[in-house]
Amino acid sequence: MRIEVTRRLPLAIALWPILALEIAADDRPVSFAAEVKPILASKCWNCHGPDERTRKGGLRLDARKHARDVLSPAGDTIPALLERITSEDPDTRMPPATSKKPLSRTEIDVLTRWLEQGAPYRQHWAFQPPTRPPPPQVSSAISVRNPIDRFIIRRLEREGIVPSPPASRETLIRRASLDLTGLPPTLTEVDDFLSDTTRNAYERLIDRLLTSPRYGEQMAVAWLDAARYADTDGYQNDRYRHMHVWRDWVVMSLNENKPYDDFLTEQIAGDLLPQATLKQQIATGFCRNHRINSEDGSIPDEWHVENVVDRVDTLGTAILGLTIGCARCHDHKYDPLTTKEYYRLFAYFNNVPEWGVGPNNGNSPPFIRVPDSWPDLSPEENAFQLPEPLKLRRARETKGNGLKRPQAGDDTTVMVMHEMETPRPTYLLVRGRFNAPDKSEVLAPDVPQLLSDFLDERPGDRLALAQWLVHRRHPLTARVAVNRMWQQFFGVGLVKTVENFGLQGEPPSHRELLDWLAVEFVDSGWNVKALQKQILMSATYRQSSRTTPELGSADPENRLLARGPRFRLHPFVLRDGILASSGLLVEQLGGPPAHPYMPPKIWSAISNNTYEQDTGAQLYRRSLYTFWRRTIPPPNMVNFNSAEREVCVVRKDRTNTPLQALTLMNNITFVEASRFLAERMIRYSDDDNAALRFGFRQLVSRMPTLSEQTLLNDAYASFLDTYRRRETAATELLSVGEKPRDESLGLARHAAMTMTASLMMNLDEAITKE
Amino acid sequence: MFPIHDYRTSMTRRRFFGRAGVGLAALSTLLNDDVRAEAVTTRNSIGGLADLPHVAPKARRVIYLFQSGGPSQLDLLDEKPELQKRFGEEVPKSVYPDDRKTTMSNAQSSFATAPSLFQFRSFGDSRLRMSELLSNIGQHADDLCIVKSMHTTAINHDPAITMLLTGSQIPGRPSAGAWLSYGLGSETSELPAFVAMSSRGSGKAGQPLYDRLWGSGFLPSVYQGVKFRNQGAPVLDIYDPSGVDPATRRTMLDYLSRLNELKFQDSGDQEIQTRIAQYELAGRMQASVPELLDLHQESKHTLEAYGPDVSRQGTYAYNCLIARRLAERGVRFIQLFHQGWDQHGSLPKQIRRQARDTDQPTAALLGDLKARGMLDDTLIVWGGEFGRTVYSQGTLTKQNYGRDHHGHCFSVWLAGGGIQGGLAFGKTDDYSVNVVENGMEAHDLNATILHLLGIDHERLIFPFQGRDFRLTDVSGRVVQDILA
Repeated sequence: MRIEVTRRLPLAIALWPILALEIAADDRPVSFAAEVKPILASKCWNCHGPDERTRKGGLRLDARKHARDVLSPAGDTIPALLERITSEDPDTRMPPATSKKPLSRTEIDVLTRWLEQGAPYRQHWAFQPPTRPPPPQVSSAISVRNPIDRFIIRRLEREGIVPSPPASRETLIRRASLDLTGLPPTLTEVDDFLSDTTRNAYERLIDRLLTSPRYGEQMAVAWLDAARYADTDGYQNDRYRHMHVWRDWVVMSLNENKPYDDFLTEQIAGDLLPQATLKQQIATGFCRNHRINSEDGSIPDEWHVENVVDRVDTLGTAILGLTIGCARCHDHKYDPLTTKEYYRLFAYFNNVPEWGVGPNNGNSPPFIRVPDSWPDLSPEENAFQLPEPLKLRRARETKGNGLKRPQAGDDTTVMVMHEMETPRPTYLLVRGRFNAPDKSEVLAPDVPQLLSDFLDERPGDRLALAQWLVHRRHPLTARVAVNRMWQQFFGVGLVKTVENFGLQGEPPSHRELLDWLAVEFVDSGWNVKALQKQILMSATYRQSSRTTPELGSADPENRLLARGPRFRLHPFVLRDGILASSGLLVEQLGGPPAHPYMPPKIWSAISNNTYEQDTGAQLYRRSLYTFWRRTIPPPNMVNFNSAEREVCVVRKDRTNTPLQALTLMNNITFVEASRFLAERMIRYSDDDNAALRFGFRQLVSRMPTLSEQTLLNDAYASFLDTYRRRETAATELLSVGEKPRDESLGLARHAAMTMTASLMMNLDEAITKE
Repeated sequence: MFPIHDYRTSMTRRRFFGRAGVGLAALSTLLNDDVRAEAVTTRNSIGGLADLPHVAPKARRVIYLFQSGGPSQLDLLDEKPELQKRFGEEVPKSVYPDDRKTTMSNAQSSFATAPSLFQFRSFGDSRLRMSELLSNIGQHADDLCIVKSMHTTAINHDPAITMLLTGSQIPGRPSAGAWLSYGLGSETSELPAFVAMSSRGSGKAGQPLYDRLWGSGFLPSVYQGVKFRNQGAPVLDIYDPSGVDPATRRTMLDYLSRLNELKFQDSGDQEIQTRIAQYELAGRMQASVPELLDLHQESKHTLEAYGPDVSRQGTYAYNCLIARRLAERGVRFIQLFHQGWDQHGSLPKQIRRQARDTDQPTAALLGDLKARGMLDDTLIVWGGEFGRTVYSQGTLTKQNYGRDHHGHCFSVWLAGGGIQGGLAFGKTDDYSVNVVENGMEAHDLNATILHLLGIDHERLIFPFQGRDFRLTDVSGRVVQDILA
């Protein structure tokens, strides 16, 4: 077939040489993974992909074996695919106009070259088990501290970019302390580190931080977000549940450096382990952290399905880095995952003796009783407990009300996983609807074919499922885990889409480094602290985060890592750090949630619950312990992009908004903290300069520069002038928050120091890891 | 081999022509601009997507009067006079099967037909039929389009309201207002682009609301709605702490800006510049919010129109007036939530109170916007998350009945920018149980709202988890029949 070219403009002739040049430069090999696949996936597979239901014309373009006919020319014609994507006839042109996804000029060009090169397909990188690549040789070996750096530097050398020099010691200790403990270093710690001239001072710093009990508190947060941990059920009235014992289990496991394979296995199937302990049973709370609907009028079967769906989807996002949830209603559009495979995964989580509607306050069965001695359990106490059976009662005595609810577990219980003696049959639910089961086939549990060809035996229960996840040849588990750690330290994952390693996920910036880290992780016995230490010991991590306009615009997200990480703190770290700097922080590991300051009537204004704020020490606990109400999460935290904890979340964008400024300037937590930082500053020295320096260092770990010191002095002088004239205003400011001020301190000085402390807390640097 | 080289040559040339065609496209965009200018006078937007609008917008902003709890279509907008004769008769199972009755009433021994106690009347030149409970709103009948054929699969509040306002029952999706702020940007830098407000009905304790209803889901949180609180400071932490006067705050902001500037010199991180700007913006918000709430600027006549509750913060009337003031100040999406429509029992008594709370202020808002020439480019949407059952929940008497949740049909109305007034759209069966004509789902309503704002709902997308997400998920159609 020949395509007619209509000459519309004679101008084209004048430009002919340019076009010819363009063609000449066009014979580079096309990368299927990087160039072709994204086009096919976003523009073609919706109708010509794995999903049979929406497939048009019986054509599949997701695997070469299905697509062969349209990829190769017949006789001396051009391949059908090329013909269709370039057709001028709107009726035959692909993609059709109705899809509103036209191919761009560049995309057509890529596909053309790909066809010309024989249209090769390659299996998606993330579905092949990682192998350990040798760390590459680099020219500037001087900046190499460990193998991680070789991967980073090789890429930089290719781009012609020079890595940054190491950050200052003050920056390093603050960066590492914030990363590993979620708190800034104390001034003593800073001073000790600055004066430590031994060669391994930095390594000893990292070792100290890794063994701090605060480490577990800090590292738990991202996992709690992924595990959608909260203190309420979600949905409608959003009543209370009691899962803090599970949260404590996470913190303790991280502190004792439980290997990641055990960490996962216990959370998915701790109850099924031989001689399971109570702690292992408690770990399975992970699979029960989903929302539970207690709304009057709910249909239990409907919400039971949602519970199981949430378990499967969380497994997908948090552990596999796959958007499995897409296959609930139809075969996955991009990844080779069928609906039937989805419901086979569903079958692993479908045998819990639970009821689809919750008790509307308290834990939903199955739950077990937690001994009073938690977490210091005696060997007898730390033994498997049989959950009490499900007991249903009528929800209301109202005539005509057919709803039944289960018994509620009080705050001495914790929800766990348990298997029913007779498994509940699992069916494929047509379009994902609870009331449309395809009863022609009972689906036995199984894992997706594509990701399990290395198994000798099909995994038959939850424990086998967990063992498959942590199998050393599993292509995803380790990659996803190390990538999430990387995200935590550098702000962006090596695969930016930490939630999606599938075909539509973003390709890794450093594929070989990711694989190296993943293999290293597995080979170390899934040793989390060891891997994190490697990352933090790298020269890459230790670089200064200073940037230039050129580098900033060439690599705004710092994906190439020619500089150290610099980004605004996680809201928990932000609040905790400021409480620590002001001396208000109350450190106490674990226990029931705390109720710190919240805006008045935060719950009762729009719901039927009332927030009862704590007083005293509980106001100043670390943010990880703050009571988490899913439908109305703490505004201070959400404002700074914390996850809402309604469903599994592993990545949040960081925003920069005026509401954040209002919080930091005016919120009671931060104003009170500035009062107490001011007290510390005043007590530190009668000399204003020294006091200001002390406060500044508390927040950013370094000395102010001369210009900064001058500005701080001037600001303080101006505030002092104001509050000397306005004693009432000073008294008012110093009454914000519950904790009374030290009356022995001079009023005007205290108020002026408070304003200056508040000014310093609002500095970009004070709320940024750099 | 196939003659691919020749082919490519020709194609490349053709592509060049195609590119020359860009000139034409640009020209048509210019023409579009004219269309646009004709449709609404465009202010400069801050942010927003470059490829918008996709179509000529008819409205520039939305005031969404959300009636939370599920207002009874049978007693307000969907008249069924024939039912009076069937008082107390069983609703046939063929009309209302058991499987979608909620567990609050599914065990009833009887599902007795409960006709409405309220009179319906004709309003306006268009003779639109509406309940006496809405007789103030009825005065604007010729501007209203009543849609009687909305339906949803959800029968519980949380999934139903989440579906309607975010396009999915499962949390994590952006709300409609967040999508609009993302797409269209803001017309004000001193107020948020999207404001949500709530009020409680005097009828009954309301069903709870949740932050996700005005949340930004997977969109960056700058697009989330700012919830104006219904008592105290309307925006959290908007006021300086006691003991800090505006001059002191100004001093603090000035030094903060200079110190941050020094840091920027040292670090080079552009994010610092953004932060400096955000603090300035926060300062401006602190000034503009008190001005917004200062009702002394309103005439006595205006205040009286909204009714006696207008001066009380946290009432629906107050929120209606604030909605108009927000609209005047360039806020893109203003959403009111009025709680208390969940009338399972004693419906006649409860609904009278709800109507008293809302009928007059809603009518006043319509009149006020019209008088100011703003109804033409403001889209008003009134409705809840589902409807209510034709059978009585609990005992039916001549004077009293209750109604359970009902998803198969419910009624909403729209008015203003681009809406065809005086129109009743869609039909339900004789029992107001099932839609029989022109059914509309949440996605259709949302697609239509976006269309009126100049957005093709299939092209307002955000990539997340490997796919392009839309407010309307994978369906939705613009309901042309209700457009002016």
